[in-house]
Amino acid sequence: MIQLEKLNRNEAVRYLGGSGISLNYRMDRLMDECESKILESASPKYLYIEKDIKDFDLWQGKDIKNHLAGCEKVIVMCATVGAEVDRLIRINQISDMAKAVVLDSFASVAVEQVCSKFDDVIAEKYKGYYQTFRFSPGYGDYPIELQKSIISMLDAPRKIGLTVNENCLLIPTKSVTAVMGLSSNPIERKKRGCAICNMRDRCKFRRNGEHCGL
Amino acid sequence: MDFKRFLDSKEFVLLDGAMGTLIQKSGVNYESVPETLNITHPKLIESFHKAYADAGSDIVYSNTFGANAYKLKDSGYSVEQIIKSGISNAKNAVKGTDCLVALDIGPIGQLLEPAGSLSFDDAYEYFKEQIIAGNDADVIVFETMTDLYELKAAVLAAKENSSKPVIATMTFERNGRTFTGVSPAAQAVTLSGLGVDALGVNCSLGPDELEGVVSEISKYTDLPIVIKANAGLPDPNSNEYDILPDKFADCVLSLLKYGVKIIGGCCGTTPEYIKEIKKVLEHEHYQPQKKSVDTTVCSASTSVEINSPRIIGERINPTGKKLFKQALVDNNIDYILTQALSQTGAGAEILDVNVGHPEIDEKKMMVRVIKAIQSVCDAPLQIDSTKPDVLEAGLRYYNGKPIVNSVNGEEKSLSEVLPLVKKYGASVVGLTLDENGIPKTAEGRFEIAKRIVERAEKLGIDRRDVYIDCLTLTVSAEQDACRETLKALRRVKTELGCKTCLGVSNISFGLPNRELVNSTFLTMALEEGLDLPIINPNAEVMTGAVRAYRVLSGTDKNSLEFISAYGNAVKPAVKENTEVDIFTAVYNGLKSEGASITEKLLESTDAMQIVNEMLIPALDRVGDDFEKNKIFLPQLIQSANAAQECFEVIKKHISKTSGSPVSRGKIILATVKGDIHDIGKNIVKVLLDNYGYTVVDLGRDVDPQLIVDTAVEQNIKMIGLSALMTTTLKSMEDTIKLIRERKELQNPDGTSKCVVFVGGAVLTKDYAMKIGADYYCKDAKESVDTAKAVLG
Repeated sequence: MIQLEKLNRNEAVRYLGGSGISLNYRMDRLMDECESKILESASPKYLYIEKDIKDFDLWQGKDIKNHLAGCEKVIVMCATVGAEVDRLIRINQISDMAKAVVLDSFASVAVEQVCSKFDDVIAEKYKGYYQTFRFSPGYGDYPIELQKSIISMLDAPRKIGLTVNENCLLIPTKSVTAVMGLSSNPIERKKRGCAICNMRDRCKFRRNGEHCGL
Repeated sequence: MDFKRFLDSKEFVLLDGAMGTLIQKSGVNYESVPETLNITHPKLIESFHKAYADAGSDIVYSNTFGANAYKLKDSGYSVEQIIKSGISNAKNAVKGTDCLVALDIGPIGQLLEPAGSLSFDDAYEYFKEQIIAGNDADVIVFETMTDLYELKAAVLAAKENSSKPVIATMTFERNGRTFTGVSPAAQAVTLSGLGVDALGVNCSLGPDELEGVVSEISKYTDLPIVIKANAGLPDPNSNEYDILPDKFADCVLSLLKYGVKIIGGCCGTTPEYIKEIKKVLEHEHYQPQKKSVDTTVCSASTSVEINSPRIIGERINPTGKKLFKQALVDNNIDYILTQALSQTGAGAEILDVNVGHPEIDEKKMMVRVIKAIQSVCDAPLQIDSTKPDVLEAGLRYYNGKPIVNSVNGEEKSLSEVLPLVKKYGASVVGLTLDENGIPKTAEGRFEIAKRIVERAEKLGIDRRDVYIDCLTLTVSAEQDACRETLKALRRVKTELGCKTCLGVSNISFGLPNRELVNSTFLTMALEEGLDLPIINPNAEVMTGAVRAYRVLSGTDKNSLEFISAYGNAVKPAVKENTEVDIFTAVYNGLKSEGASITEKLLESTDAMQIVNEMLIPALDRVGDDFEKNKIFLPQLIQSANAAQECFEVIKKHISKTSGSPVSRGKIILATVKGDIHDIGKNIVKVLLDNYGYTVVDLGRDVDPQLIVDTAVEQNIKMIGLSALMTTTLKSMEDTIKLIRERKELQNPDGTSKCVVFVGGAVLTKDYAMKIGADYYCKDAKESVDTAKAVLG
């Protein structure tokens, strides 16, 4: 199982649109408090299955074909930081909205860190394979509806309490589904641009037609 | 079938093992869901049931775990087809034996409100359909549940649509909770109350790891306990489980002391396991356990045992509270939630909820408020109304075991309220009054208490779940009455063995220094045996009296609770005499400073001058700096909150001096149907509030019709909609369409009277225009600018 010990504060600040702002004492304290609250309430879990590329059946659109080109195996995964985090954010939306947005931001950081630890788990387990980055339903032309297929393929509601509703929203909300390719030959390093950033939907830069530069 | 007799006739009842494991091992392929095999491969499924019956199962579960309308949507079969064939396969397999067939029902597969978007009523309908289709089964089983609310909907659906016995099991994680945070205690207390026949654990972990959960459950129920554990953990490569039949059976033996009577296996178990369990149980005896805790109420995550004085917070009640009444009329649920959180923060362990007000639909409001409170607050609730239909609505939608407030000695009350208490498995407050009013003497009140308890017991309500209120009268009117109340309380406690509760504050009505009288009376009552003081927990001296009493009476062992409440209390630092002006306070988000400065200013400055010349410019500066990236979102919100405090002070001042407060206009906010991400909408709300607009917040996942109706009813000209997902943009479009179509919201020439502004993650300006919005706002700040442009 994955344990989170620390959350990347710079990322949390970046999600909040605060890159480049020097935090005052009060903000610093608020960040500390929210980080430890999220660490306390997060219960990180993930599931995955490995498929031979010829058995993989979630082909829809062009982008996934590009993404998995040259791969022999496919990892289908999902991960969540659990329901308690949602609840914590919900409560704070009543009692302290500023804290709620900071918690929300750290929760996004947390699920991203769980995913990146997951990448390490796969790298460890599939030594000798190169891995693509995680490609999620909703990226490019890969239909968001496939969240449902992934959730049911992995039996995620029963095994880790991760569900998807009729509108393809993952619940608990701080969760991810994704597909990752494995190849024994080096994979052309695709740029990790906006397409796979989990801020892509609410990024200030993108909305103004800019780019954060990461 | 008399299930109790069936249970009594056997030392132990053996269930079956896993169905999925056998299906997997057989290598059979199926389309969409394994339940379709009931129709495509009936003989195969029958053979699995038969293997279990042969191995010794007394009850086999039909292959219908996921046979609900949601999961079967794409299967090509109806719920009825799958379930009827599932039951019939099982019945064929056990023909000629006394093995029973259970209709097996698992979770729907969608999360219920508040975490998810499936409503309690919709969940009920899913289960109802399954239960009716499964009419040929002998028993109804709900298993692998992780959400107590979903399970409550299921049990109610079973009880209201069939007379079959019900077994209910949930799945726990290693931390002793389910995925949604349900505790074993809450499960046991709630399900026992709802009248299931047996309860326990399935799936989860191996039997070697279940002791903690099973022992906890057994403390809270008298019912036979079920275990249907996994065969340990699966190996990720081979998918083989690591606990073999003999060890599995040994683990089962070690759990018998907790009252386990009904035993089977879940994932990874096969007929071999059932055989082995049967073998080891041959010489064992069922060891029934009586619950070892006192009467307990609970939410889904928190249980409160009434074994020492527990504070019931009285603040969620409009009586005598102008702001609260206004909040009810305005549907301002957040106001009520703030009241809930501040009371639990101050030490309330149970919250009384009363929303009776002549200008609103009390029943609807009770349901809304209960759902809202349980989404943010763990404390068990006390549902308070004079109307039985309101009580029933509250009971139905409450997640856990609540208290009903109240029943009294009148025949009408007894016959209307007690059956509800029984049906929903609640506790109840019994008021010692009847047709003739409140008896003057302790004797009279005791007699009524006795009558209430007798009637409750006749219906099968445990007397420990009846909390008698001997009624506090105003001591300034009748000085002797205090003694009578306390005398009655003592008798009820010792002679009837009931718990007692008491609203305390009435005692001091008409006297000066009421708090002193209240707290002294409270201490006297506690010493007479009061269990549930109903008080204002925010009154420090009242909460303190209860805490101190717990120490002095020896219930707060080693004064731990007391020390944790007061041990770290640092004396408030002497306020540094730093001269902060209102601008600095708002800009830096200093709430209390902002409020006190505003108060001071009001002594010498006109209220509107403070607003227009100080507060608004400060907020504008914050907004500018936010746009220029000098400060970021949390700071923007903190400033808004500080400004809010200043506005509150000013509003109070204005309403004192000149009557009605000024609003710059009403705006509806809603997150559209299907979408449950509402943090963005809530940020917008905070800002609009602070610029003096009145926000009618309809929440998230909001039906378009409700938005349009509200606009018409309250004559609102500006509507803000939010959506975060591409999948819910369609509902935004539908909502706008409905707004435009509604005649009352059109000008005589057919143009729209309503200005619609939209925002949210995936929206762009172009798209917003395309779906017919008037404004696209990229963030909360732009929403305020838009409101200014439209409403002024």
